[in-house]
Amino acid sequence: MSFDEKFDVIVIGAGHAGCEAASAAARMGAETAIVTLNLDLIGQMSCNPAIGGIAKGHIVREVDALGGIMGRVIDRTGIQFRLLNRSRGPAVQSPRAQADRSLYRTEMRQTLEATPNLHLRQGLVIDLIVENGRIRGVEMQDTRRICADAVILATGTFLNGLVHTGRRTYTAGRAGEPASLELAESLKRLGFAVGRLKTGTPPRLDGRTIDWEQFEPQPADERPVPFSFSTEIIPQPQINCYIGYTNEAVHDAIRANIHESPLYSGQIKGIGPRYCPSIEDKVVKFPDKTRHQLFLEPEGHNTAEVYLNGFSTSLPAELQQDFVHKIPGLDGARIIRPGYAIEYDFIDPRGLTPFLETSQIKGLFFAGQINGTTGYEEAACQGLLAGINAALFVQKREGFRLRREESYIGVLIDDLITQGVDEPYRMFTSRAENRLSLRYDTADARLTPYGRDLGLVDDSNWELFHSRRERLSQLRRIFEATQFKRTDAAYQSLSQLLNADLGNSFTFAQISLRPQVDLELLRKVFSLNTGFAASPAEFETVFADVLYSGYLAARQNNLDRIHHYDSLPIPQSFSYKKLAGLSSEMVERFERARPLTFGQARRISGLTPAAISTLLVHLKLNKAA
Amino acid sequence: MRTPDTIVALSTPPGRSGIGVIRLSGPASLDYTRALVRTPDFTPEPNRATLKTLRDPDSGDALDQSLVTYFKSPRSFTGEDVIELSCHGSPVLLLEVVDALLKLGARAAAPGEFTLRALSNGRLSLSQAEAVRDLIDAQTNAAARQAARQLGGELSARLQPFKDSLVEIIVRLESSLEFVEDDLPEVALESLRLQLEGLIHNLEILARSFHSGRLLKDGLKVTLVGRPNAGKSSIFNELLTSDRAIVTDIPGTTRDSLSELLNLEGVPVLLTDTAGVREAFDPIEHLGIARTRQAMADADLIVAVIDGSQPLTREDESLLADLPAGCYLIALNKSDLGQFDPATLNGSARGIKPIPISAKTGAGFDELRRAILAPFGGGGLQTTDFLITNARHSDLLRRAADSLRASQKSIGEGVSEDLILVGLYDSLRFLGEITGETTPEDVLTRIFATFCIGK
Repeated sequence: MSFDEKFDVIVIGAGHAGCEAASAAARMGAETAIVTLNLDLIGQMSCNPAIGGIAKGHIVREVDALGGIMGRVIDRTGIQFRLLNRSRGPAVQSPRAQADRSLYRTEMRQTLEATPNLHLRQGLVIDLIVENGRIRGVEMQDTRRICADAVILATGTFLNGLVHTGRRTYTAGRAGEPASLELAESLKRLGFAVGRLKTGTPPRLDGRTIDWEQFEPQPADERPVPFSFSTEIIPQPQINCYIGYTNEAVHDAIRANIHESPLYSGQIKGIGPRYCPSIEDKVVKFPDKTRHQLFLEPEGHNTAEVYLNGFSTSLPAELQQDFVHKIPGLDGARIIRPGYAIEYDFIDPRGLTPFLETSQIKGLFFAGQINGTTGYEEAACQGLLAGINAALFVQKREGFRLRREESYIGVLIDDLITQGVDEPYRMFTSRAENRLSLRYDTADARLTPYGRDLGLVDDSNWELFHSRRERLSQLRRIFEATQFKRTDAAYQSLSQLLNADLGNSFTFAQISLRPQVDLELLRKVFSLNTGFAASPAEFETVFADVLYSGYLAARQNNLDRIHHYDSLPIPQSFSYKKLAGLSSEMVERFERARPLTFGQARRISGLTPAAISTLLVHLKLNKAA
Repeated sequence: MRTPDTIVALSTPPGRSGIGVIRLSGPASLDYTRALVRTPDFTPEPNRATLKTLRDPDSGDALDQSLVTYFKSPRSFTGEDVIELSCHGSPVLLLEVVDALLKLGARAAAPGEFTLRALSNGRLSLSQAEAVRDLIDAQTNAAARQAARQLGGELSARLQPFKDSLVEIIVRLESSLEFVEDDLPEVALESLRLQLEGLIHNLEILARSFHSGRLLKDGLKVTLVGRPNAGKSSIFNELLTSDRAIVTDIPGTTRDSLSELLNLEGVPVLLTDTAGVREAFDPIEHLGIARTRQAMADADLIVAVIDGSQPLTREDESLLADLPAGCYLIALNKSDLGQFDPATLNGSARGIKPIPISAKTGAGFDELRRAILAPFGGGGLQTTDFLITNARHSDLLRRAADSLRASQKSIGEGVSEDLILVGLYDSLRFLGEITGETTPEDVLTRIFATFCIGK
């Protein structure tokens, strides 16, 4: 077979998964091509123009700590930074930023173009070339053939994409862009287990037609918390978003027209995400709620377009317009782009290895929505891992994986490959058993050494990592060990400020754990009296370390006790068919997931307790034998 | 699914006994039985015992007359076809029958394999499997009833409401953390604290019932001590005559004349007489002292027998001084012969109210029985209530309650929800060890069913 071009790695798709994948593979030394339908839409945010949020912000931090690019790009293009859950425990705080959608695209494209070994190609891939169970390359619609040892599919919602607005449907990857139909067929031909999911977007409004006075402004944080550990300043001027509400009139109108919604007419078969329901779903499933919250999110500095977050819908465009008018402040608002629902193919991720490689075709990797996830962040981290592993694969090096205990990325991939998905998978902090240890501000400590080993963390960032680590440990020493007595100036100013008797002596660690202590105030007194000028971020990190250390120790004991069988290994030659009395369904679930340990087996979805007990008894008997 | 083979085992304890039950489980159970009774079309009605002659499949010689019961899949203990053969209890004969079945193609079951099959086929949960073991070991009717209840899944059912309330609390807290941008109701921490209080209280009651539960299962070890001629043996015999246990075959206990099993109001009591060490308090008899000490150390309760018709002897006093505080009672025997003045008791025994009895007339024995059971939940255990009989379960319940207490404390200290949740999740996991796990997915499902989430 003759090829027009040859690379080590080809990445299909230049969304959030594709960009990370291509950037990582190229920086690890693999000659990499990224193929996209439209070079002008690299890094497009097809849904809301925001990155981060609870658990998602954690993921972006982890991507950054490993040497990924999403954090840096959003830091340069974010127009409203907010740290969510600031009043809650540090483990559930998470950064979020509204992006300038167009700036984000430009910045991402520039980032890719500045990467050595990385080659941008525009075109539509219609087929995968496979020989003897190994990927050889891809075929394009324009008849070009590109050869590669590894191929990463990051096709988002484009596989067999079908857009719904009212009763009207049309094939599309996103509104206004063609779907990948041939490639979807090719994957089915290759024997992949294909399922169908659905997601949706709300209408975009013309900001000039909104009566902003009617909405409650939601300002950006005064002190923006960036996503990247290397970011010092947020360059973009910060804007307000606005909060408003639907009302009974809107709900009644939707209910009266519910038959017009393809979600309720039976037209849409794919399963949508429960945490991102359409306004139709909200109104039908929660009839007692008299209002639903809406966020008006400006799409950027250089556009009047506004994203109506919370109003995702696939109702006919003219009805969308009518219903929007019933919201005070939007009575004159014009819809620029109607909302729509999109159904798309995904491939059962239980067929993937922990390295995101398909088990049936060597050198073929899947990342992002094709694996049944939703969200830019979830896509980006898979892209990063797939890019890393594709490069390692062509370099014939051992694959790279992260454990559940050390990262949200590890949780995500483990969940995907062992449990599969029933609906678009989104990350939540409650999915991580180890949530208290997976703080956003410790992502570097947890993951940057891996990134360095892989070749993704450059010298200056590695230097930065070390100096941060050094400063934190120094800070913690002073924080915990330095005693302040009644005669010390720090003692006097603090007991005055807190209006409390602090005993004969105290450490800052002890004071910080008192309820309702103003950490920022404490930091200032600390810096003044110890001569160690701790930044707010540094101070918060050390405080969180101290706050959680007791819990983590106690918790470890409990976990050890409860899950002391979790590390019990399952031999790869283990035959589930030989487990007497296991139904064929249970055998199939075990075999599809091929867990490496009892802990993984325990988390496989759909297993009966009896099946798990049976496995445990057998593993224990085998071990004893 | 691989077709399982058919397993066979003697299901009653080895040794000479009235009857011996041989159990077969697996698809060929009926075929093997047909060969054994030499009736190719033998089709017993399920769950009905039929009297049949078992014959050697090779020679045709009669082996035994047996009651054959057929339990048809899936309505059997293991979920497979099961045959139970109730034979006469000769060990030799039982071996021959098992041998014949092995020759026919059955496989000797590994220890616990019947229960394992029941687990695999979803006939039993883990806590039910544990109950099976308890039922087999049950020594009295009350204990058997208790095990049977647990087997019926009652423990899981009892714990379900606890788990439900716990998940409901977790759902409220998690939603407030995960969906901070959604318009969710505030979590009222004070009401949550009270809700936890109720949960803790109920879990602790259940955990505490283990004390009584353990007695039902394992029995109460009572040791009679006293100087020679105080009347220990008469008391021993009197208790034995009226309360002899229904089951006498106790594994692990010496069946010498010194220990016997009684059934005291449903509680199995292992009564040990130290009569064999008559010279126990003679300092020269070291061996005797050691054996008495052993019997005393093993006992849950010691009954010190004193001849109430005479003043305390030096031996009596030294005995009383030796008794471990808090787990003994004093029986004043020979009450028919005269009255002893309790005021003469001193040292550690001062203030303990002796029970006057007469082994000769039987007077005072009702009170003695009540006194024996009193420190363990009172005479007549409340067997109508559900009791925890398994140390593991009791331990898990206690830990579940402790974890909730930690969360409750966190709420009081005003710490963030993520830390409050630590104890709640731990508690849920401990309960899950008994009833099956609650996954993060279960919690998320509840969140989405309860709240309208999503921007």
